[in-house]
This record gives sequence, structure tokens and C-alpha cells, in this order.
Amino acid sequence: MKTVNKLLALLLALGMLFALAACGGGTTQPATPATPADPGTTQPATPATPAAPAAAGEIVINFPSIWVGTDSKAAYMSELIDKFNAENAGSIKVVVEEQTDYQAYRDKIRTTITTGSAPDLCILDTTFDIKAYAESGKFMDLTPYLQQGWGNDFADGTFDAWSVDGKTYILPFESAVFTPIYNKTILAAAGWDHFPATYDEFFKMADDVKAAGYNVMGQMAGDNAWSSMLWYSLIVEAIGGKDVYANGLSDPAFVEAAGVLKKMYGYTFDGAVSATAGDVNGHFIGRDTAIYLNGPWWIANFYKEDNAVNGTLLADECEVAVNPAYTGGKGAGGLVTTVQGFLAAAKQDDPNKEAAVIKFLQYVTDPQHVSELALSSGAMFFVKYTPSPDTSVISQKVTEVANNASFTILHVNGAFPTAFSTEFPAAVSALVLGQIDEQGFVDMLQTAIDNAA
Amino acid sequence: MKLTRSDRSPLIAFLAPALAIMLVFFVIPVIYVIVVSFLKWNGISAPAFANVTNFLKLFKDKSFVRSVTNNIIWALVAGFIQVPLAMVMAIILSRRPRGWKFFRTVYFFPQVISGIALATLWRAIYSADTGLLNGLLRALGMGDKARDWLGTVETAFPAVLIYWVFYVGYYMVIMMADISTIDSAYYEAATLDGASDFQQAIYITIPLIKKTSLLTCVTLASVLGLRQFEQVYMLTNGGPANTTSTMVLYMYKKMQDTNYGMASATAAILIVVGVIFIVCIRALFTADERTGGKRRRGA
Repeated sequence: MKTVNKLLALLLALGMLFALAACGGGTTQPATPATPADPGTTQPATPATPAAPAAAGEIVINFPSIWVGTDSKAAYMSELIDKFNAENAGSIKVVVEEQTDYQAYRDKIRTTITTGSAPDLCILDTTFDIKAYAESGKFMDLTPYLQQGWGNDFADGTFDAWSVDGKTYILPFESAVFTPIYNKTILAAAGWDHFPATYDEFFKMADDVKAAGYNVMGQMAGDNAWSSMLWYSLIVEAIGGKDVYANGLSDPAFVEAAGVLKKMYGYTFDGAVSATAGDVNGHFIGRDTAIYLNGPWWIANFYKEDNAVNGTLLADECEVAVNPAYTGGKGAGGLVTTVQGFLAAAKQDDPNKEAAVIKFLQYVTDPQHVSELALSSGAMFFVKYTPSPDTSVISQKVTEVANNASFTILHVNGAFPTAFSTEFPAAVSALVLGQIDEQGFVDMLQTAIDNAA
Repeated sequence: MKLTRSDRSPLIAFLAPALAIMLVFFVIPVIYVIVVSFLKWNGISAPAFANVTNFLKLFKDKSFVRSVTNNIIWALVAGFIQVPLAMVMAIILSRRPRGWKFFRTVYFFPQVISGIALATLWRAIYSADTGLLNGLLRALGMGDKARDWLGTVETAFPAVLIYWVFYVGYYMVIMMADISTIDSAYYEAATLDGASDFQQAIYITIPLIKKTSLLTCVTLASVLGLRQFEQVYMLTNGGPANTTSTMVLYMYKKMQDTNYGMASATAAILIVVGVIFIVCIRALFTADERTGGKRRRGA
């Protein structure tokens, strides 16, 4: 009897262990037998293009995407992917893994790359260490394909800053320029018929706007302090000019710009220290704030009926401005810009899959498709394309500002390591709340960078 | 009882799955975290041995020190304010007053809502310009007290902590279940002796649940206090000026910076703080056993 009990116990234990092992293995079922170890082939949580299971011999490209949901590029990208899948039915299928939260998307991609290999396709931005990723060996070398003519579709110099040893692994795709857009009606109510050309004049205008009962601009130190980061970038550019990043944060422009940023908090809405992008957008749409600063992807919102007041579109009340010059500064005529989105493809062992991924990348970056994408979203791209005649007035004016710029610099988040952007909200709030002075603000950011180094 | 050779095999066989689970899901990850805490690693390039640099950097970082302090405050508030509050509610509702089922449901209800949703709701309540709290203050003629609750150094951490303290339903239900197992004869005898409800709670209920559900709840609440993340992330993201940061949020930010060495060092310290807390709580709850034992031995 004892022997039977022992045997039974052993069988139960083995059964449980087997069940445990089975649970562990089931989480990474490959979608395609060709790349069994590729985490990019795990089943998507919410496939945007679920359709039928992949046909035999069909190459599945998994694409975790942030260009979904309410993102301005979502509608056209969905249409484009459906069209690509239809044109390549039976041979290639792009499956989109939807992720609508930007930070969650970054976390997912970062974790996927750290714990294994890269997804088949993904979108990166400047919060990723692009150079380290390019050197990691986990991404596909796109150089031979770009050299075969595909590279001619992109603006000159697009790849220079992001290439490693002359090779392009990560493709700059979506660009962005940051220039103020102001509400003409509010400025007029404050007695201003033009946007200030200098920061001295800017603060005179700010006093008038405030006296008229409006907020001057939206600031936010909550979340990622995006708006304040952009304002700080504009001020840094105006003071320090095109070489401001040459010596890291040691340029005196960063300390001086911190003082200007702190002053701006006296002209924003209540609660800006804990505010998020939603608050900034809401105040501008609500017509109680005069100046708005964000990337061109937001332009579509100026034309939304939802944001109209008494039948007047926000776009009809707004005008595009340029970054004011700073007295004694070196940045007149400059422009703050960034790479808003890079396209990156995992290194593939299967040449057929590599060809399929390249085919899709070339399809997405086709100038005609990019032109339509730009029209529908308002976003800007590194691909050379002919703007649609239907392009919105604000988009055209932003493009004009970009074309007239004598030089460009990245925004501060893009110019410094990720630790800078992580620490920036805390540094801004500490500065604004008087816990640190302007030098302390820069020191705090420098310490964060040093700790991460 | 001495185990015979024939007893050992089934014992080992039954323990093996649990041990395997512990090994795979706890021991190995902890060892991995400790190893990585001594490395400089960005998650992409090859890791390099960094000795104790990560730990030294942590203790020099005011934001980390603030995070540890906040976590300790959080755990203490959880263990010694939130749980006692839950205990009071459990004792009152266990007396089955009129409408007790309704109140039990009401108090437990927030537990079925995600922490993220609650944090979003409270963010709206605390909002400086459109928040319910400031609106209420203004309506009561106390507009001068209105402020940016989550954006002011003095109020941000209390604001994040205070509302959470009142979500006592989870611990309340655990203790109510425990109280329901207490023999009613104790209460009947106490009633005959003229003990009030308060005296019965103090001398019967609390001593009888102290080493069971009360200890469990204090341990659970303190440990949850030490691993707070989503609430702070959603409400303040650690701001303003890192005054509401917690260790897990700090660790998350280090992972965002792809600084896995410092993130793991933070995790290692979190484990140590957690162990210290659990040991202290157990010591506190079994103090009378030890002193009682000494007395007995001394007698």
C-alpha cells in the first residue's frame, strides 16, 4: 500500500511539474515556424488587422504600433496596412499590435528589445538610445536597400546623424518642428496685432494678455512636462544658437533659459505644476490661453468641429509665429525640431521575411503614401513628397517656417540621454516651486545624466 | 515524530512542485536582481561589473532617499492607520447593526475598481482649476484654501496618501470573516458579566484576531505600501520635485533610462526594506508571547 501511495504522490508531483512547464512554454508560441525564437511573433493582444489565420507560406510581419487609436496617423495607417495586406494576400501579412498609450508602448518596446530580440517592426523616438540600438546588432541593416535607390526618397542628410559606421539600421521617418501658434482673437483683445519678435517684447505682450484676463501660454510640469520641455528648448535655441549642445549642459544658455522658463510660469494657468498635456490642450481649445506649442501632428485638431466655438474653427482664430529672438542671443532664425518617429526592423535570419519587411517599409515610405499621410494627419516626414493642394493653411505656414529656418537644433529631450527627459519634470517643478535656483535646475539634470552614464 | 525513509519520499514529492515554483519565480529572479545590481548595464550592450557604484549613487541621490522615506511612511500609515480603521469597521459591522450588509458592500466596493481608475478619479477631484475639492472650498467661502493639491510640495504626498487610507474594505472583509469564527459564548458570558460592546471588542475580539487576521492584514497592508506604484504614477508621476516618489516608481524611471544596474539595486534595497518590515511586524505582534514565555520560565 505504501508503495502505491509513493507512486501516486510521485505521479501527482510530476503531473504538476509538467503542467507548470506547459504553462511556461505556452506564452511564446511562434506565429511563423521560420522564426521560432523571435518575440515579435508572439500573438498580439489586440490585433487591429486580425483577419483570418496566416495561410501556409504566408509571411507574417508583427508590427506593434502606436499609430492607432486617436493618434493622428491612425486612420490612414490602418487604411494603408489593409491595402498592403490586400495587395499581398497569401504572401505577406502585416499584423498590427495596437498600443494606444505612448509611454506603455515605449516600455513594451524597450522591454522586448532588452529581454530578447526586436519586434519585426516598431516605432522608436528620441527617448530611446538610438545609437546604442543601432549598434546592438538586433536591427536590420537597411543600408544596401537605401543605396539601391530607396534612399533617394528621403531628404538629404536624413540618415547622417543616426548612422553607425556609415550604416543605417534605424530609419528616421516622422519629423517635427516646434513653433508657437497663437490665438489672434486673444492677442487682439490684449491690444496686439502681431506676435512679438523678441522675448523682451514677448513679456510685454504677456503682461497685456494677462491683464486682459487670459493665460499667455500652457505650461505643465506634470507627466513628462512636454509643453515646458518644448518652451525650454525654444528659449535655449534663442539664447544659445545652433551650437548650444556642443558642450552638453555647460553652455550658460541652459541656466539663463531656466530663468526665462520660470518666469513663464507666472503667465500660465493655475495648477500648471501638476498639469498634463490634456490640461494644456484643454485650455487652448477653451480659448482662455493665447499661445500653443506642440508638434505638427496636432494641427488636425485645429480643424476639428469638436473644437469649434460658436461655429468658428480654432484654425480660423490662429496664426503661426516664429520663435522670438533673445536680446544678446545667438539663435535668431533658428528652429527647434526632432525626429518624432523612427522605423526600425528586427534583423531577420530568413531572407524571405527580410524582403517582406523591406517591401512593407518601402510601401509605407512611398512619397505618394507619405503625402496622403501628411494630409490626413498634419504630421511632417523626412520623405520628400509633394504636398497635397488640400494641405491645411496652418500646415503650409508651419512648413514655411521650417523652410525659412537658417538652422535647426533638436529639442532638449532629443539632444540629451533619456535620463534628462526622465528628470526634467522634477527639475521644472523644483525650479518653479523655488526649491532650487536656475543653476540648481541645470545641476539636477546633469546629475541625472551622470548617474545614468 | 521521527521521519522514516518511507515517509520522506512522498514528502519530497509533494514539496517539489512548490519548491520548483519558488525557485523559478522567486529565488532565481531575486538572485538575478542582486547580480544585475552590481553591473552597469543598459539592456543592450554587454554588462560590465560596477562593484557597489550603483548603491553608492542611490544613497547620494536625494530623490531615492525621498522615495525610501515615502515608502516607509506609506507602509506605517497602511499598517497602523488603515488596518486599525478597517478593524474598527469590521468590529462594528460584525455586531450586525441595521444595514450592515449595505455598508459592507459600500466599503468593499472600491476594491473591485482598478487603482488606475481610482487615481484618475482623484486626479480630477484634486485638479487645481476644475477640481471638486477646490470647488467645494470656494462654495464654502474658503477659496483662499484652494490650491494645486498635487502640485504643491507640502500637500502632494498627503493628497496621494490620504484618500487611499480610507479604502479599508479588503482588510475589513478579511477581519470580518475571522471575527465570525469567534465562539459567541465568549460574548454571551461577557454580556452577563456586564461588559460593554467596547469592552468586548477590546478584551475579546481584538486579542482573538490579533495573531491571525490582524497580523495578516498589517503585513499585507505594509507590504502593499512598500510596493506602491500605479497610484503615484497616475496622480503625480513622483512630482512635484520628486516629493511623492516611491521606490518602485524610482525603479521604473531607472528602467526608462535603461539604467538596469541602478533599477536592480533599487529592487534589492526594496527587498531588504520589505524583509525588515515583515520581521518587525511579526516581532511586534508576538512580543507578548516572548515576554510571557520569559515570565513563565522565570516563575
